[in-house]
Amino acid sequence: MSRIVITGIGVISALGEFAETNHTALVKAECGLSSLQLFKTIYSETLKFGEIKIENEQLKNRLGIKNKGITRTSLLALHALNEAVNDSKLKEVQIKSYDTALIVANTVGGMCLTDELFQDANSKDNGSEYVSSYDCGSTTLFLQNQLGVKGVCNTINTACSSSANALMFAARLINNGYANRAIVGGVDSLAKFTINGFNSLGILAPQNCKPFDKNRNGLNLGEGSGFIVMEKESDVIDKKIYAVLSGYFNSNDAFHPSALSDNGDGPFLAMKGALKTANLSPFQIGYVNTHGTGTENNDEVEGKALKRIFETVPPFASTKSKIGHCLGGAAAIESVFSIIALNNQEIYPSLNFITPIESTGLIPLLEYKNHSFDHIMTNSFGFGGNCSSLIFSKK
Amino acid sequence: MEREELKLQLKNHIIKYLNLLEMTPDDIKDDQPLFGDGLGLDSIDSIELIVLLEREYGIKIQDPKDGRKILADINSMLDYIQEHRAK
Amino acid sequence: MYIHKSTCISPQQTYSDVDLEKLNISVNNMLNVVEPKYDDIPLNVLRRMGKAVRMGVGAALPLIKDSKNIDGIIIGTANGGMEDCIKFLNQIVQFEEGRLTPTNFVQSTPNAIAAQIGITNQNKCYNITHVHRGLAFENALIDAQMLLRENLEFNLLVGGVDEISSYNYNIENLGGWFKDEEIDNTKLYKNETKGTIAGEGVTMFVVNNCKENSIANISAIKTLHTNNTEEVAEQLKLFIEKNISPDKNIDLFLTGENGDNRLQNYYNVCENIFDNNTSIARFKHYCGEYPTASAFSVWLASKILNNQIIPQHFIKCKSNSNKLERILIYNNYKGQQHSFMLIEK
Repeated sequence: MSRIVITGIGVISALGEFAETNHTALVKAECGLSSLQLFKTIYSETLKFGEIKIENEQLKNRLGIKNKGITRTSLLALHALNEAVNDSKLKEVQIKSYDTALIVANTVGGMCLTDELFQDANSKDNGSEYVSSYDCGSTTLFLQNQLGVKGVCNTINTACSSSANALMFAARLINNGYANRAIVGGVDSLAKFTINGFNSLGILAPQNCKPFDKNRNGLNLGEGSGFIVMEKESDVIDKKIYAVLSGYFNSNDAFHPSALSDNGDGPFLAMKGALKTANLSPFQIGYVNTHGTGTENNDEVEGKALKRIFETVPPFASTKSKIGHCLGGAAAIESVFSIIALNNQEIYPSLNFITPIESTGLIPLLEYKNHSFDHIMTNSFGFGGNCSSLIFSKK
Repeated sequence: MEREELKLQLKNHIIKYLNLLEMTPDDIKDDQPLFGDGLGLDSIDSIELIVLLEREYGIKIQDPKDGRKILADINSMLDYIQEHRAK
Repeated sequence: MYIHKSTCISPQQTYSDVDLEKLNISVNNMLNVVEPKYDDIPLNVLRRMGKAVRMGVGAALPLIKDSKNIDGIIIGTANGGMEDCIKFLNQIVQFEEGRLTPTNFVQSTPNAIAAQIGITNQNKCYNITHVHRGLAFENALIDAQMLLRENLEFNLLVGGVDEISSYNYNIENLGGWFKDEEIDNTKLYKNETKGTIAGEGVTMFVVNNCKENSIANISAIKTLHTNNTEEVAEQLKLFIEKNISPDKNIDLFLTGENGDNRLQNYYNVCENIFDNNTSIARFKHYCGEYPTASAFSVWLASKILNNQIIPQHFIKCKSNSNKLERILIYNNYKGQQHSFMLIEK
């Protein structure tokens, strides 16, 4: 079986609008969290978010979108997707062929338009222009239509681990002969729905989040999108190969709808399974991009699971201290960051950490480093116990 | 409001907020722990009860850690409501 | 991929004492499910569940209880708990983003169904939710098909779930997808206007690679995105060529025709591919239109293959032969998403 390689990457987040700008910000250990300037909620001033400071009209102009009813979620996705597709130099005929798959993860869909949705759900008068754009599938269907993709199209929602499962599904489509290449990613935009949802659970941090710190007090929500192009190594002749997707695994914690179990069985099984798929031993992992949301529950459990897997826990960090938690976009964005790290043989620090959690004693990476390594693991755990881990390897 | 009357009202609110199927106010004993082995409620329920106190009695609990003590059982909730209620 | 067990909660008598001849009549252009008693769901868990989660878990538990092991839980649902989603939205508006109760939020995420099935059974295996609107269930099947190639011994739970809530009925209605005039489901196909009637339901299957004692074989699946009728017909011909040898007959062409005159031509061009050796039948008058109605059609096809009879109200056009060994399903969602599925004995 031919290996699955990454030939294109695209990302837009609070750190930057393209892969290169995100890379620069990662190297400088910049923080993209801020008060809200564009999105309106009663928490705009009081909480911090990973907001992308580009208005929808500007995104539409830049992307050449003139049709109505297109949501911010779809615009951010198209932005990252275009970058990845251009980067991989996929030909028009390849994009439109029946063996190219399009797999997209998201959790809010068009619900970023909370007020419009409220109107449309409750009013008997005319619908808004967004009446067909609220479900998660609407973003994928918009992208499918824009590109004219003809192969398998799918939308996945496993809450915060959604886009890890999108990457995994795409890789399996290729391995099983359902597609020869895949355009795959994840996206979410800020929404009153998720802001108030996480707030109702009391897990939004009042300030910038502090992943893995003893005094961590919640997460920051972010928005953004990451996309990659996957191809079979045997099909790639004269283009850049960023990395190999060598490992993946999905497992369920089967404990609680909105919390991980004390032992972290789901995270443990996901990491263990990904190592097995990649045929690697734990010591070969050179860096772990953790889920690291900054909540009381996640970071302690993830830390314990890391200690169960690794005899010596490798350098690890959380990018959520820089871009917030982008939900359905998180794993795809962090996969792009992981691919960039691996390619440049460097690793990026976690921010706002002071004191280790007592039960684990784990300290995340605190400064930028050149680092010689072959394999990077990235973790994503979601509500409903949906846990997935991916491993990218050097070509 | 008398304590007995308040108690019945509170139990009815709890049944409504937590959608405790097939339960009547009599099924919730005054000193039965609401969490753990008692009524079997969990962390999401404790947030639902904090919202109940705010919406029905105008009581704001800022630190969820205080919640555990206040929400221990019906008696402790009644004590707290009688002392702090705003409406 | 062989079906070994199935449950179906639909607007009709399909859960226990299955009676395919009986037809419940729609009310206000809606076919609402007949919900069973959920004896297997603990009351302390049931109390939090919205309809979609309740139906999904309720249909899954008897199958799991009856199986030795389940190695993956794969759910297709376009919207998951839509009712809870809008309830939470209403809270946001009513309480101006103040302190809100979290249960609606937690229950509204579409993965709550698969997750709750996993939690209830302490099942730590593969667990995923496909939400690709009218092809959510088909993608779940493709996922199951792949998983059974990767792990030959696996036993999987795969299903489709969607609910009608007054809110999503309203949204779809504003989008022009339901009929303006009130009709009942017995007259669904006589109508020559746009729109259809709403439905809902849950269908769950246990599938594996073992042919022995199976109910039916889901032998091929193909999905397609297009609004070109010719392309649909062309792809259907290719699907038949690829998956059915010329000496084998397609005994029944089961379609998702739904009374929406804007979509009729898709069904017409596909029906024209078949000769009088193939019967044609329809199912949306029975379960209504919803994004994962195709899951219901697979269940129906498996029943027809086992009963060797197609109740009259499903039939559009009867073939010369009485043999029923092979059923081809074509479903179309909103003229944009299409699927072909081949179900064999």
